[in-house]
Amino acid sequence: MAEGLTRALDEMARQDVDVLVLGREGNARFVSGATRLWLAGTRPFAPGCVVVRETGAVHLMSTTDFGVPDEIPPARLYAMSWNPVNIVGAVAAIPGVSGAQRIGVDGLTPLFEQQLTAMLPNAQLADGEAVMRAARRVKSAVEVERIRTAISVAEDALGAAVEALRTGVREVELKGVFEERMCRLGTTTPAFEGAFCVVDSDLSVRRVASNRVIVAGDLVAMSAGVLLDGWEGSLARTLPCGAPTAEHRHRLSRWLAAWPPVVERCRAGARVGDLRATAGASVYGVGLGAEALEDSAALEPGMVVQLELEALGFLGADTLLVGDGGVEVLTAFPYEAAGE
Amino acid sequence: MTGDLDLARMRRDRHRKVVDALDAQGLAAAVLLGQPAVAYAVGARAPAADAARAAQQRMIAIVTADGDAPHLYTAFPEGVPPELPADHVHDALPMEWPEGATALLEALPDGPIALDEYTMPLHAALRGREITDATAILGPCKVAKTADELECIRRAQSINEQAMLTVEPLVAPGLHGSELSGVFLRRIFELGANANTVDPIWQVMPPRVADGPHSITGDVVFPTPTMGERFAAGDVIWVDTGIDYEGYASDFGCTFVVGGPESRHRDQAARWREIVDRCLDVLKPGATGGDLVRAASANEVRRPWLPHLYLAHGIGTNSAEMPLIGTDLGEEFDDALVLAPGMVLVFEPVVWDDGNAGFRAEEILAVTDDGYEHLSARDGGPRG
Repeated sequence: MAEGLTRALDEMARQDVDVLVLGREGNARFVSGATRLWLAGTRPFAPGCVVVRETGAVHLMSTTDFGVPDEIPPARLYAMSWNPVNIVGAVAAIPGVSGAQRIGVDGLTPLFEQQLTAMLPNAQLADGEAVMRAARRVKSAVEVERIRTAISVAEDALGAAVEALRTGVREVELKGVFEERMCRLGTTTPAFEGAFCVVDSDLSVRRVASNRVIVAGDLVAMSAGVLLDGWEGSLARTLPCGAPTAEHRHRLSRWLAAWPPVVERCRAGARVGDLRATAGASVYGVGLGAEALEDSAALEPGMVVQLELEALGFLGADTLLVGDGGVEVLTAFPYEAAGE
Repeated sequence: MTGDLDLARMRRDRHRKVVDALDAQGLAAAVLLGQPAVAYAVGARAPAADAARAAQQRMIAIVTADGDAPHLYTAFPEGVPPELPADHVHDALPMEWPEGATALLEALPDGPIALDEYTMPLHAALRGREITDATAILGPCKVAKTADELECIRRAQSINEQAMLTVEPLVAPGLHGSELSGVFLRRIFELGANANTVDPIWQVMPPRVADGPHSITGDVVFPTPTMGERFAAGDVIWVDTGIDYEGYASDFGCTFVVGGPESRHRDQAARWREIVDRCLDVLKPGATGGDLVRAASANEVRRPWLPHLYLAHGIGTNSAEMPLIGTDLGEEFDDALVLAPGMVLVFEPVVWDDGNAGFRAEEILAVTDDGYEHLSARDGGPRG
């Protein structure tokens, strides 16, 4: 049985959830190991994957076994549909669903709520996202390896963008260079559209690359990432176009001074809300894509987090593995341009 | 890309439609969490992202029936339309947590609300409120496009088509689909795309359905994600890609034959052309989805499209939206769907010749006052 499924079933038992009906692709991938078509952006809830605690079975909305691990036989696949009645009918027909007391869903639409409650009138709807969040949060050694591999792809692709950072290149072109390199390295799905944005004298960091032409002397904030077999590798750096000026060196040295104390605080037991209290700092979980962390959560050994600090018009982010003592920084990309 | 486009006018027209629809249905507000819905109602932009990240950093819009400017909650100030008053632009609200959901609840006007989707904390926070599905509000607004919206789709499609012209000469034995994706993604950004919205598909089709991958319906399996399979001479490749331009999707489908098409590939493409041409013969305001289904199916042994998909679908701020034609929503649904000016249809029939694979392409048309106009090129191949 897939390791993710075991953890999800344990968490279902702990939270007293009989059936999970999952619409979020990361959740579906975690329990099934299946690769389905990647689409950008939010998607309205649809029951793409069902986990039944009683049978321990995962059922997937897929018209084919392509990308589906062998543990999930074709009998556990159900067809996609445009008709909510047909979709909910297919879900209700899955062994163990009709008798379920508590059904966890990771989202809903008013229409699906209506359909689900009509088809399964005795079931109570529960927060399935909370179940999945708990199951996914602490990473196994195998999962950490997958994240490391994804990071190495992201770093290689960022290196290509840095190489292309020359007078005359447009911000959006750097985004294209990053993604082209990512594809050459074997994955075609970015974690997000990279930010490759000149930081102006007001020091605010934009997150949407524009058509702006970069010239020597510009400082460019770069934040980018990839998904490799669904696992995220991402990082952020701020680098100059051409030789760094005295102002750049000054900002970099201030950022480099501010960074280690923030990293140092990311220890097991640290409260996420406290980490976020540092001006310009952000923290989120890294796994099958970005994973939400609540302010009240405490870091635990085995969690992987992205720590970002935006300060003085400088953006930097690394991926950290929380250990029993301190953290291991999984990203290794240099903070300053080579030869400085 | 020379057509007239006024983004502020487009946003104004769309907002007016949503407000009128709310008013007509006696609703106080539309609360929108889906990014295509926010893009439609407000015209705000956020960077494209994987679904998980997109959900965590989602923009939220509240459109009120009083016609006041919408309220937007966003982490991306550079994506806010310039005309939106400053006191209508707010920091992002995290819908993954009860605090964010409660804050959103407090910002809502009294009265019945149209909502597109819940997170579970929002579901808990809204308990007791009168909620209807926002599809009923947005669907009718979105289905007929304004001239500005049509121009956005035309431009999105043009970028997509131009990028494909860069990719096409590279198709050769030994190449990976992922390498084509790389060239494609780089080119769309150079050409002005705002985002890529679907992992580009370069699916090598089996000669027979039975050659796999396994199909639970017995029909042609499509689409499957790009996983690095190398192309071989004679491979038939079905291509499907989509990008975003100012919030609007493109949808480009064609068929490549590695090493170049032979007569059987051209024959399949000619049959595909006949199917689409039969549809175009009846495509005008007043025709129904059912009319198109019957036109496409005339003289065919079976319906010439993938049964889990459609003969044609609409496109806009979603890559597939109403009107959907030839789906499992059924015949009555198709017959009740009456075409009107401004509606957009992406035709994607499939010609399958078991033993010789098949041909698939896509062609985008907008319904005009007296017929139709193309928003895409008419060259789905066979290419290569």
